[in-house]
Amino acid sequence: MANLKELRLRIATIKNTRKITAAMSQIASARLRRAQNALMAARPYGERMHEVMQSLVAGIDPAERKAAHPLLEERPVGRVLIIALTADRGLCGGFNSNINRTTARLLEAERKAGRKAVLMAVGRKAQAYFKHYGEDMSGRIHPAPEDKTVVELGKAIASSAMELFTTKDESRRVDRVVLLYNHFVSVLTQEPRELQLLPLSPGEGKGPSREPTFEPDRGSILEHLVPVAVESLIQQAMFNSVAAEIAARRVAMDSATDNASGLIADLTLEYNRERQAAITTELMEIIGGAEALKG
Amino acid sequence: MADRMKLDILTPRGAKREGIDVPGVELPGLLGELGVLPEHVPFVTAVKPGVVRFRQGNESVRLAVGAGFLEVTDAGRVVLLCERALEPGEIDKEAARARLSEVEAELRQYTGPISAATFRDLDQERTWLQAQLRCAD
Repeated sequence: MANLKELRLRIATIKNTRKITAAMSQIASARLRRAQNALMAARPYGERMHEVMQSLVAGIDPAERKAAHPLLEERPVGRVLIIALTADRGLCGGFNSNINRTTARLLEAERKAGRKAVLMAVGRKAQAYFKHYGEDMSGRIHPAPEDKTVVELGKAIASSAMELFTTKDESRRVDRVVLLYNHFVSVLTQEPRELQLLPLSPGEGKGPSREPTFEPDRGSILEHLVPVAVESLIQQAMFNSVAAEIAARRVAMDSATDNASGLIADLTLEYNRERQAAITTELMEIIGGAEALKG
Repeated sequence: MADRMKLDILTPRGAKREGIDVPGVELPGLLGELGVLPEHVPFVTAVKPGVVRFRQGNESVRLAVGAGFLEVTDAGRVVLLCERALEPGEIDKEAARARLSEVEAELRQYTGPISAATFRDLDQERTWLQAQLRCAD
């Protein structure tokens, strides 16, 4: 009979777990809609900002970019800053570990190539992971973004990255800044992506067919636009990351709920079989006893 | 000659106006107030925190906007990209006024270099708060 009791207990435990995962999946569904809306709302701004930046920067000869704005300067790379954008919480499938693994690979590749690499951790998960490996992140730790904090947090991270890129202090200065984040492709797919933030480059794609007039002039617009364009890149990545995190959590919790249901079905079957076996044995004993009395 | 143009006001938190028809728009350019009318040549300029005015339908609209850019595209579309924008109804005047006096007090006590980030942040916040108050009044 001990086995029966054990089975009953296990079924009860798994039912509890299923309640929790189902609730978490529902919470994620509700938050996902909000995060997706925020992502969609932010997209036009980010895209226009990128186009304006392209039209301004693409017209400048690469050799003259440094003079145009310090954040456009392409230097030989001696030190790289890698920003890993993760979440504060787990239970969202491969969301955090994908970024952590890609980041670790990139750190290793940069170091093998003889360059120095420093890490900035955004979100507790990256922080905990790399702390375990003894990575130095002092002064470069930020909380994970949420849909309400993206704008301000994006600014803060942009300003600390720009400071590291432009500082006069050779021992701290970085020559390249990359951001690793989860891109929200769809609810079912998140894709870890690598994005170069600094030096800011116009990227692929042609400039405008006709160059617009700049008022008062290209230089003073660049001075305002370049930092904002960097902020905007980070904010876009964060909006993606927030939506991707919630989507990943929903998918993970859905499959956990399905797994729990499967386990419960299996265990219930086993439980019923055990119970039937026990009843049969008891019956056999009774019949056997009755036969013996008759004899 | 067209007497209307399309106007977009976009922020990272979403579009405030998208593709509305306006006869013109006035906004705070870096070098002072400027107005844009339909069929303007394509140009890009920086915008500082202030009040944007335009007519939408029969109503005249005022919005407080943060720093950003104005772009007039080849197609004559006017796009205002700003880091934030508020309708007059969304502005909390009391809170803005209180915060403004705090920021001004901090700025008065400030003794560090003008180029420092803290000073720049405070200065930006001050202009943004002033823009909100001007828009709400």
